[in-house]
Amino acid sequence: MINRKKKIVIVGGGLAGLALAMKFCERDGEVTVLSYQSLKRSHSVCAQGGINAAIDAKNEGDTPEKHFYDTIKGGDFLAHQPLVRDMCYQAPAIIHLMDRMGVAFNRTGEGHLDFRRFGGTLYSRTAFAGATTGQQLVYALDEQVRRHVHDGAARTLEWHEYLGAVLDSEGICRGAVIHDLRTGDIYTLPADAVVLASGGPSQVYARSTASFVSTGAAATTAYLQGAKYANGEFIQIHPTAIPGQDKLRLMSESARGEGGRVWVPRNANDKRDPKKIPESERYYFLEEKYPLFKNLVPRDVASREIYDIVYNQKLGVNGEPMVYLDLTHKSREFLDNRLGGIMDIYSKFTGVDPRESPMKIFPAVHYSMGGLWTDYGPDSNGLIDHGSPRNQMTSIQGLFAAGEADYQFHGANRLGANSLLSCIYTGLMMARGIMNYTDSLEKSVDDISSTTFDDTRSHWQNRFTDIKAMNGSENPYKLHQDLGNIMLANVLIVRDNKSLEKAWHAIHDIETRFKDVKCLDTNDWANPTPSFINQLYCMIHLSKIITKGALMRDEFRGSHYKPAFDMNQPKDFDPHEYIDYLEQRQYGEVPEGKFPRDHLDYMKRFQENNEKWLKTTVAQHKDNEPEITYEEVNTSLVTPRPRKYD
Amino acid sequence: MTEKNITLKIKRQDTPGSTAYWQTFEVPKRPHANIISCLMEVQRNPTTQDGKTVAPVTWDCNCLEEVCGSCTMLINGKVRQACTALVDHLEGTIVLEPMSKFPVVRDLQVNRERMFDNLKKVKAWIDIDGSHDIGEGPVMPDQDRAKRYVMSECMTCGCCLEACPQFTIDNSFLGAATFNQVRLFNLHPTGKMRKEDRLDAVMGEGGITDCGNAQVCVEVCPKNIPLTESIADIGRQTTWQAIKNLLTK
Amino acid sequence: MAKPSKDEIHYLLLKLHSLTGIIPVGAFLVVHLCVNSLRTVGVWPYQLSIDAINNLPFLLIIEITFIYIPILFHSAMGFYVIRLGKTNAHRYRYPRNGLYTMQRLSGAVVFVFLIYHLGTTVAPKLWEGKHHFEAAPFLIDIMNGEFQTWQGMLIYTIGIISATFHFSNGLWGFCVSWGILIGENAQKNGAIIFAMIGLALTVLGMATVAEFNMNPVPVEATVAR
Repeated sequence: MINRKKKIVIVGGGLAGLALAMKFCERDGEVTVLSYQSLKRSHSVCAQGGINAAIDAKNEGDTPEKHFYDTIKGGDFLAHQPLVRDMCYQAPAIIHLMDRMGVAFNRTGEGHLDFRRFGGTLYSRTAFAGATTGQQLVYALDEQVRRHVHDGAARTLEWHEYLGAVLDSEGICRGAVIHDLRTGDIYTLPADAVVLASGGPSQVYARSTASFVSTGAAATTAYLQGAKYANGEFIQIHPTAIPGQDKLRLMSESARGEGGRVWVPRNANDKRDPKKIPESERYYFLEEKYPLFKNLVPRDVASREIYDIVYNQKLGVNGEPMVYLDLTHKSREFLDNRLGGIMDIYSKFTGVDPRESPMKIFPAVHYSMGGLWTDYGPDSNGLIDHGSPRNQMTSIQGLFAAGEADYQFHGANRLGANSLLSCIYTGLMMARGIMNYTDSLEKSVDDISSTTFDDTRSHWQNRFTDIKAMNGSENPYKLHQDLGNIMLANVLIVRDNKSLEKAWHAIHDIETRFKDVKCLDTNDWANPTPSFINQLYCMIHLSKIITKGALMRDEFRGSHYKPAFDMNQPKDFDPHEYIDYLEQRQYGEVPEGKFPRDHLDYMKRFQENNEKWLKTTVAQHKDNEPEITYEEVNTSLVTPRPRKYD
Repeated sequence: MTEKNITLKIKRQDTPGSTAYWQTFEVPKRPHANIISCLMEVQRNPTTQDGKTVAPVTWDCNCLEEVCGSCTMLINGKVRQACTALVDHLEGTIVLEPMSKFPVVRDLQVNRERMFDNLKKVKAWIDIDGSHDIGEGPVMPDQDRAKRYVMSECMTCGCCLEACPQFTIDNSFLGAATFNQVRLFNLHPTGKMRKEDRLDAVMGEGGITDCGNAQVCVEVCPKNIPLTESIADIGRQTTWQAIKNLLTK
Repeated sequence: MAKPSKDEIHYLLLKLHSLTGIIPVGAFLVVHLCVNSLRTVGVWPYQLSIDAINNLPFLLIIEITFIYIPILFHSAMGFYVIRLGKTNAHRYRYPRNGLYTMQRLSGAVVFVFLIYHLGTTVAPKLWEGKHHFEAAPFLIDIMNGEFQTWQGMLIYTIGIISATFHFSNGLWGFCVSWGILIGENAQKNGAIIFAMIGLALTVLGMATVAEFNMNPVPVEATVAR
C-alpha cells in the first residue's frame, strides 16, 4: 500500500483522458495530463453528431440491451461482449452526468434531453448538442479538469509529448518519458500508472477526417516497447466527408439521422443542377437497397455502397467520385437548430450553402476500431467489475489505454455516436481499477532505483540527438505524404491481397527511405521536426500493423471488406435462420429440407468462417516486424450471426 | 509569379526574444487549397523564393475544420483561422503573421495561456458535486439551451482579443471571450449558484468596465458568437451586483 | 463597510466615469445647448435665461460641484481610459470600431475646447466680477465677438460637434455598458435613436452659432445696479 496520493500520468487531453483525469482527481489521486497542445484543442472536438444512450425518451421501447445488441451487431460480433454491455448500461448515467456539467444538449419542448436517430439502429438514441457534440463534451470535461487544476488536484503539461514508458527490470511501467515541445528537454516522470488516451492513428493515411495530432505515435511506441496491438486492420471509413486537399472534413451521420438522403442521378451523364433533377430520375440507392434502415445503415455498409455506385456502377456525380447528400427538403430553421455546425463547415469550405443545394460527399478514413490491446475484468452478471485492476490495462503492466487508442468496444465496425460514449465510459470506468492496481503492487514506483529512470531518459535523449543529426536527402514531411498515399491507395474500403502485398512492400521501401531522412530543422527551441520524424517512424510501424493484419485476414468482416472472401448472403436470408440452424446442429445433423439449399450452404460457410476468423488480431513487435497471432473473442452473451440491414 | 503559384510572405521569429524577419515562399496552387495546405507545402519544400533552404515554418493547427481554435493567425493583416482561409478567396501575395497580442513562441505560433488563465479567474465551469451517478440534470427550456449553445461554441481561438483595441499584450483586460464564458455559466441553473463569484471576478481592473464597445470582437468571431450581447448582459449583471454590494455588504 | 479593494475602486471609478458622462455632464450639455438656443428665438428670452442662472444663490458652489468637478473627473478618467487601449480602426474597418476611435478623439477635443471656452467666458466673468444682471451683457458681448471671426466659428463648430457626438455616442455606450441595451437589435435601434438625439443637439448648437454670427446684438443689463 502506498501512503501518499496515487500518481498517474495521462497522455492526451481528449474525452477519455479528461474523463479519467476528472474521476481520478475526485478519488484524491495526483494527476498529470499531457497534451501536444492546449487542452481544449484535442481531436475529440471534431466529433459532431452525438452520443448514444438508450434512455428511450421517445417511448420507442429502446433499452440498454438493444443498444448492446446493435453495437455488437454493428461491429460484426468482433467486440468482447461484457465490456460493450457494461458501456451500454452505463450510457444513460454518462449522458445525465454530462448534462449536469452544462453540456448544451438539445432539448424537447418540456425541457428534457432530445434524441435523434443514427446509423445502425432503429431507435432515437443519440443525444446531441447541435452538430458539435464532441466539442461540447470536451469543453465540459475540460472545464471540470480546469477546476481541479485550479484547486491544485491536477496539473497539465501542455506542449509536451509522450515518448515512451519507463519500464523496470520486471517490465512494469513506472513512469513516462516526456518531451517538452518548447524547450526540447527530455525527462522522465515517475508514476504509479501511465494511461495512453492518445487518440487514433488516421494520420497514416494521406487524407482522413482526423486532426493533425492523430498520428497514433504514443500507442505505437507502446507496441514497439512490447505491448500488443489489436485489430489494427479495422479502419472505419466514414461514408460522408467533404473532399479536400489537406483533410477530408467530416459531414456527420446526423445529417442522415435528421433526414438527409443520399442519391445520385440515375443517368450517369446527367449534368443538370441537382435541384432540377426530378424525383423519378434520382437513384436513392441506400433507400432502395435497405428499405428497413434506409440511409441509416451502418457506416461500413454505406461506405461500400457509395464506393460501389461510384466505381463499379460509374454513377458518381458528373463522373467524379462523389454522391449527393441532400438536406434541401428540410427548413432552414430546422437545419440551423440541429445541424448548424456542419452546415457552416460545408459552406465555409466549399462556398456552397447546403441548405440550398445538395452536398457532394465521398467516404473518408475516419476511425480506428483497433488499437492497443487492453484487458478487462468481467463480473458474474455479464458486466464489468469496475474495481478490477485489469480494466483497460495493456499487456504491459502499469500501462493503460483508453479511448480510440484502445481496441475495445467497436469490434470490426463502430456505430455512429458510440465513440464519444466509449471514450467517456473508459475514462470514468477505469479510475477505480487503476487505484486498486497501484495498491496491489508489491513494489511501488518509489522503490525503483533511479538508474532505471536515468537510463530510459538517456536512451531517449540519444535517440533525439541521433534524429537531429540525420542529414540524408529525404524530406520527412514528403515521406509521410508518400506513406499516406500508399495506405490510401491500397488499404481502404475494398481490399484485395494483391494490393495489400504491394502496400506491404511499398511500406518497406518507405522504411528504407526513412534511414535517409534529413532533419530539416536543428534548432533547440520549439522545433517540431525531430518530434515529427520520431512520429513518422511510429507511423511506418503502424502502417505495417494495419497492412499485415489486413493481408492475413482472409474474410469479409465489418470494415474489412475483401470481395474475394464475401460469402454472398442469399437475398432472402433471415439471420434468425442461423440461430435455428445452430440449435439444430446441437442435436446432430440438420435434417434435409429444413432450410433452403443455398441458405444451408451459406450458413455452413458462415459458421466455418467464424470458427476461423471470429478472432482478435494481435500484433506484437518481433524483429522489426509485426508478428500476428489471433485470440478468442468473448461472445458469451449474444450468439454471433450474419448481419442484415434490409 | 506564375498563375499556378501562390506567394506567401511570412513573418518569422526564431525565439520569443529574438527579432522577427520576413521570408517569402512560393508554393504550387492546388484546387481548394487553404493556408494550412500551403504551409504544409512549405514543409515539404522549405526553400525561399530566392532559393535559400531554411528551416520549415512552424505554426499551430489541429482539427483543420475550425472547431479547435488552434490555427489563428494574421492573414493579410486580419486575424482569422488559417484552415478556413481558402486561397481562392485571397488575392496577390498572402502575408502571414503571428497574432500580435500574445507573446510569440516561434514563427506563427503564439502563447495563448492568458486566455486559459482567464477561464480559471472567472471559474468557467459548473461546480458539480461529483461525477458519480446522481440522476438527471436540471430541466431547462430549449430556448435557454440554444442561447447557451451558441456561446459555448467559443473555441478560445483569440480572434476577438487580437482584434480588440482594449486588449493589449501587456494589460490585464479579460476580453470578450472571457465575459462570454461568465454569461454562459451564469445562465445555467447550477452554474447560477456561483454567479456572484464570477461577477466579482470581472468587476476590477481589466474587467467589464474596461470594455470600450468597439465591437470588433463580434465582427471577427469565426463562430458568430453574440459577444457584444454577452458583454452588455454582463454589464447589466455586474451593475445589479454592484448596487447589491453597496446596499447589503 | 470594509475598506474597498483596488479592484472595487477601479470598478467604481470607471462606472462613475460612465455615469458622470450622462449625469451631470451630459445633462448640463443638453441644458446648456437648449438654453443657448433661446438666442435663435430672440436676444430677450436668451438674456432672461442668463439672468436667471446668474442670479441663482450659491452659483459658484453649484457650478463647481455639479459642473466643474464632474467634468474634471470625467476628463481625467477619460484620459486614463484612452491609455487602456490602442486604436486599430485602420486595420479593422468596422463602423463601431471607427466610433470607438472617434469617441476617444472627440473627448480629447472637447477637453481642449472647454479650456478655451471657459478661458474666454467664465474666467473673464469671474476675473472682472460680473455677477447677477451684469453677467448677461458681458457674456453676450464676448460671444458676439467670438463669432465674428472664422477662427472663432471654426473652434465653436468643432467644439459643439465633438461635444454632441461624444455625448450621444457616449449615451449609447452607457446604455450598453450598464446593460440597458443588450440584444443586437436593441443596440442597433438604440444607436439610431441616440444618433438622432445627437443630430438634434448639433442642429440646436449650430443654429445658435449661426444666429450669433449673422445677428450680433449688443444688450444692456436687464436691471441696472
